[in-house]
Amino acid sequence: MTSPEDPTAPALQLVDLAKRYATGVDALRGVSLEIGRGEFFGLLGPNGAGKSTLIHCVTGLANPTGGTARVFGHDAVDNYEHARAAVGLAPQDINLDQFLTVFETLDYHGGYFGMAKRDRHERAAELLDAFSLTDKRDDKTRFLSGGMKRRVVLARALMHRPRLLILDEPTAGVDVELRLELWHYVQKINAEGTTVLLTTHYLEEAEQLCDHIAFIDQGAIIAQGTPSELTQRYAVSTLEDAYLQLAGRSELSRAGLTAEEGR
Amino acid sequence: MTPRQIRFWSLVRRELSRFWKIKRQTIAAPLLEAFLYISVFGAALGSRIDELHGVDYVVFIVPGLVLMSWALNAYTNNASSILQQKMQRAIDDQLTSPASPLELLLAFSLGGFVRGGLVSGITLAVAALLVDMPFEHPGVLIVSMLLCGAFFAQLGVLAGVRAEQWDDISFIQQFVLTPLIFLGGVFYSASLLPAPFDVLTQANPVYHMVGLVRYGFLGFTDSNVVVSLAVLTVATAGLVALNLRLFTIGWRLRA
Repeated sequence: MTSPEDPTAPALQLVDLAKRYATGVDALRGVSLEIGRGEFFGLLGPNGAGKSTLIHCVTGLANPTGGTARVFGHDAVDNYEHARAAVGLAPQDINLDQFLTVFETLDYHGGYFGMAKRDRHERAAELLDAFSLTDKRDDKTRFLSGGMKRRVVLARALMHRPRLLILDEPTAGVDVELRLELWHYVQKINAEGTTVLLTTHYLEEAEQLCDHIAFIDQGAIIAQGTPSELTQRYAVSTLEDAYLQLAGRSELSRAGLTAEEGR
Repeated sequence: MTPRQIRFWSLVRRELSRFWKIKRQTIAAPLLEAFLYISVFGAALGSRIDELHGVDYVVFIVPGLVLMSWALNAYTNNASSILQQKMQRAIDDQLTSPASPLELLLAFSLGGFVRGGLVSGITLAVAALLVDMPFEHPGVLIVSMLLCGAFFAQLGVLAGVRAEQWDDISFIQQFVLTPLIFLGGVFYSASLLPAPFDVLTQANPVYHMVGLVRYGFLGFTDSNVVVSLAVLTVATAGLVALNLRLFTIGWRLRA
């Protein structure tokens, strides 16, 4: 299954990607999207919009029912081995194996992606340090606090040095320290060439970090562009206001909230 | 090792380390159970039972116990491991890796296969120290044991993939496997059964497995060795094909 990689292929290319669950729910209704190599891309939308389903179709956790997803030119279904090798996923829900220690979690993950033992040990030590986990190295994951578990999930996603890092709401319920640690680290690897796909409900974070943004709602992309393009297009000052306008909820704008509080 | 070999070994290592970390439960407990059977049915009650087909009762039941150890441990290990990882969604780590459906299936199968083989092997080694165990047809014995282990390992994988709660796994074990094993002639010879049970028992796949293993040890069986081997091979291959298909389409693993 060796296929030469097209060096010009985007990091992620979705063409009419559709997913209908067995329940009959259409979670994705023909999504087309392109994320260039090295981009920091934000996928924003309300709960249930289809963000996680889109990510699952790219990473093999869901089988698309229509269209295609290509990772660096490799089809996520027909050439899953190459496609998945390039992706690191930090899922929305913490999904650690409770039997494993922090180090084992990273070590096995590296193994699943074909990393040699020495490389796994060096990389694990590097990530344990980067995410302040070194003193938890031999703790079983089930005994960690929620914040520590989140750190392990993020370190695991980075373990095999993915070229496309997918962060599905990585900062939900996370303290300020970890949030900033994460963004510093992710900005650094993004500058070094790693493509990042981020979903988040914190729009100010997306506005600050992302080169490109797409809004998704009811399984379809409803707007996309750079943060400044989006704010200009909707004649608002923040990405959040653009989002609220798209959602038809402009009355919720913080501008109004501040004015009322100031009275 | 190539990256693919590292990947496969990591998947297997994960399954082996799971049962090894809780070896009191996964190795010691089933060993104790096997020795209780040998003690109670063999040593204590066996002295009151005449020889069966020319061997002491305790010698007669050891082949069935060795088989039962492999079968139940292979099944429970794989079913539990898969269900547990599904419930935690920790299995997504393997599912999002570049591993192929075949690699995943084999790795999940090998955990229980090895655990069952370990318990079964230790049971046999200790039984051989306590009583004089014959090994009449080692070739048939080894092939039969490996096939039986593979069959129940696959059955465990199937049950684990299908299961949505713990009850789904224990139901199959308590209401299907245990009756089939106990009625498969582990503790008695089918030739002692009254009609029509002597014929009905032949529909029980475990009867053929016990027959094969007993033939390997004692050189005696109620069943036809060639037919039993063929049926067991086809049944195991069928389960592998079914499981591979389920892993390929991601049934109850991928949305």
